[in-house]
Amino acid sequence: MRVQVYEHLMAISRRRFLGGAATAAATGALGLSPSFAADSVVAEIMKIPGAGNGSPTDADWQKVGELCLGPTKQNVQPGEFKGVQFSFMGLNNQNLHNFLFRGFLKPWEAYTGASIKWIDLAQADYNARLQQTIASGTVDYDIIEMGAPFEGDMGVKDLLSEMPDWVKKQVDFDDIVDYLKPPVGTWNGKIHRVTIDSDCHTMNIRTDVFGDADLAKQWDGVADKAGLAKWGAPKTWQQVQAVTKFLKGKKVRGKEVYGFLDQPKGWGGFEFYFLMSRASAYAKYPGEKNWLFDENFKPLVNKPAFVRAIQDVVDALPYEPADQINADPGTTAFQQFLTGTGSLLEWWGDIGTTAKTSDTATIGDVLAFDILPGSDDVYNWRTDKWEKLASGPNVAPNMAYLGWGIYVMKSVDGDAKRHKAAWSAAAHLGGKDLSMWTSAYPSGFQPYRKSHTNLDLWALAGYDKKYIGSYMDSQSTSYNHPNNSIEPRIPGIFQYYSIAEDELAKTYAGKQSAQQGADNVAAAWEKLTDKLGRDNQVKYYRIAMGL
Amino acid sequence: MSGAKYEATATHLSAGRVALGRWLFRAATVLLLAVIAIQALKTAAVTSVGFPDWLPVLYAYVVWGVALGASQVLKYGEAGQQTAFILPAFLFTAAMVIFPTLFGLGIAFTDWNLNGDAHHNFNGLNNLRTLWADAYFWNALGNMGFYVATVAVQYAIAFGLALLLNADIRGRKFFRVAFLLPFMLSPVAISWMFGKSMMENRFGPVANFFRFVGWENPAFFSSPYIARTSIAVMDSWQWIPFLIIMLLAGLQALPHDVKEAAKVDGATEWQTFWGVTFPLMLPVSVTAIVLRVIFELKLADIVINVTSGGPGGATDTISSFVFREYRDRSNVGYATMIAEVYLVLIIIFVTLLLRVVSRYMQRMT
Repeated sequence: MRVQVYEHLMAISRRRFLGGAATAAATGALGLSPSFAADSVVAEIMKIPGAGNGSPTDADWQKVGELCLGPTKQNVQPGEFKGVQFSFMGLNNQNLHNFLFRGFLKPWEAYTGASIKWIDLAQADYNARLQQTIASGTVDYDIIEMGAPFEGDMGVKDLLSEMPDWVKKQVDFDDIVDYLKPPVGTWNGKIHRVTIDSDCHTMNIRTDVFGDADLAKQWDGVADKAGLAKWGAPKTWQQVQAVTKFLKGKKVRGKEVYGFLDQPKGWGGFEFYFLMSRASAYAKYPGEKNWLFDENFKPLVNKPAFVRAIQDVVDALPYEPADQINADPGTTAFQQFLTGTGSLLEWWGDIGTTAKTSDTATIGDVLAFDILPGSDDVYNWRTDKWEKLASGPNVAPNMAYLGWGIYVMKSVDGDAKRHKAAWSAAAHLGGKDLSMWTSAYPSGFQPYRKSHTNLDLWALAGYDKKYIGSYMDSQSTSYNHPNNSIEPRIPGIFQYYSIAEDELAKTYAGKQSAQQGADNVAAAWEKLTDKLGRDNQVKYYRIAMGL
Repeated sequence: MSGAKYEATATHLSAGRVALGRWLFRAATVLLLAVIAIQALKTAAVTSVGFPDWLPVLYAYVVWGVALGASQVLKYGEAGQQTAFILPAFLFTAAMVIFPTLFGLGIAFTDWNLNGDAHHNFNGLNNLRTLWADAYFWNALGNMGFYVATVAVQYAIAFGLALLLNADIRGRKFFRVAFLLPFMLSPVAISWMFGKSMMENRFGPVANFFRFVGWENPAFFSSPYIARTSIAVMDSWQWIPFLIIMLLAGLQALPHDVKEAAKVDGATEWQTFWGVTFPLMLPVSVTAIVLRVIFELKLADIVINVTSGGPGGATDTISSFVFREYRDRSNVGYATMIAEVYLVLIIIFVTLLLRVVSRYMQRMT
């Protein structure tokens, strides 16, 4: 039966998948994964707690952690780390991240004899705490949950431990999707990261809105359709704008609907990712790695591509919910979109899994996914011209944040027992079976392995294959897109983003033009580069971008 | 004895005891300076000998403080004991207030950025020049003017409610407790209760109410003026009880005979209030307003949680700006300069305010 499913998936093309049962597209895009044995660990954990049993609890996390101890037991003897204690710093967003790690690692602690002291941080406090410890030389944690953009901050100070080969084997390093492989997760050629997440922005789409017959009729009468001849989910940003304007004041089943939801309010630097996602199709020219800065680290943010994206937000805001200017990314995802406001949202993959497994989400049955929209034309900053590509709209998915990882600090390297203990804990969290569970249930993490495309496993957690096929297709097509947009992993990158947020807020509030706002961002970035040390920043940028 | 100044009894102290006190102090001072010097030289990379962090300096300071107190007692007897009583408070203030302020001042004149490759360097008046040209700072300062001005409205409302609670009304005790409740809540809780729930555009009861009375699409944080007013309303809701407590205490302490005399003289309620109660309440009012202004100048939590200073800086405060500058941008030197400059501005403003109020009160009384 499993082999049959496998072969069936092999036979279906991605396009056919989207048109009918969008089941196997992801598999086609990521590389096929073998099916699973019914009595395998992964099959067992995917049923915890199972569909219709509410959000997972600490007891579930512990149970999953316990069942996934197999690879640890192959490398570590019982009680081998007795007496070892170390600190683990991570997030507590939405009561996830560290909350799960505690549960996953509790059986690991019981087995190995090590004990962990936890440092929980809110997302908004994360960057400040990280930078303070790095700058003041007061790193008080042995393991850290960290995003790839901070690798530059850690790397230049040589604070990270290098991943041992046995960890690479234990976590099945080759199974990780290609764009998250080196240079991501490395600094100066050394691998430091146990990947536990992948990050890209995709488009979340309300199928009830874009499948509504009345709206389809009304859409036929719209003059400027931006190329969207038939009513349906938009494929370009030009269409997103047209659809958003069209939906203002419209109702579906008696309820007011809105189109695209922007995130104009600052979010500790993270809001800038959403502008980058709106801009990447305009700014990322095929074959060109540089899109936010040029190869000499000169900002491209005030070039026409980003200015157009900023102007798009300004133009769309009057057609979005009344208080949208006060909406940060968290608000748009968890308070608006998942509870039924808005029909298009660019966000990380959490939306797809949370919509199905959270007690508070109301749109799980009317949700589909796609990669970020493209653009009819793309700006070539080298020629200073907008170009229409012969291949059609330019698509450039934004790999926003590049995913969370577990990193071990170099401070443990001097003690062989601590070193092995810390890496063993990291490897447990980055384990293959465990990762399948964190992808499917609320965890804060997205699928990041080729094996995550096994839709049968998702089905065990209660997902229907059409839904999850659409979801995985949007993810995997983004991961593997030849023109995907990678951000620079340089020291202080969040300072650049944070400064941009302040200027964008003024622009969105109508205090300055899009061009003026973009010019101010560029000027502030240049000033910051001088402050942080231009020569080094240029050097780090080139390392990070693989130039 | 009443009213007489207490003087310590002169007692004979042996030369050995005095010498011991002197040497104890000297030894502790040498120890403290040595620990500071060792750690400073290590930090400056002059030597490799030293401690992993500055904690031993704190221990040495505590030892020095104890030795200082003991030496005072040994050297001066009962007079020394008197000094030893106030020394802990003084040393604590020096460590927790004076030292951080001066240390902060030092940081304020550096280019310290946590992401910078180089360590922090003295950069003269650069941070001051940056601040002078920083539109975000002046915008936030302008907003602070608005927020401080709302204290007058808060005071008027609080006075009215205090008068009500002082009157013989039914359920007076219940209302006194009920009116205090907002003051017991944290600003973060208020931010979520009001800003993110009750004033939520789609389903918030406040939004629904305004929709009911004819505001088609109520949005409390979209336009600059409404957003600023919304923040002020939330802040006022929390802090008016503070003013009520102060004013109610003042009202209860007022002498009844003066008001009764006014009544006998045929004064109306309004005349009694304006001619008797209000002037007599001026000292309490001034204290309450000045304290409230000082608290208002520190407004940050609600703004950070609800609007992040937006839309377009319309609700930004100096504290929320410092918070962003430091927390999001790791800009330690510049953020500290803003905080130090703001401290100076607050001191000047409050001093002037007190002087103006003092003159006004002299005229009134």
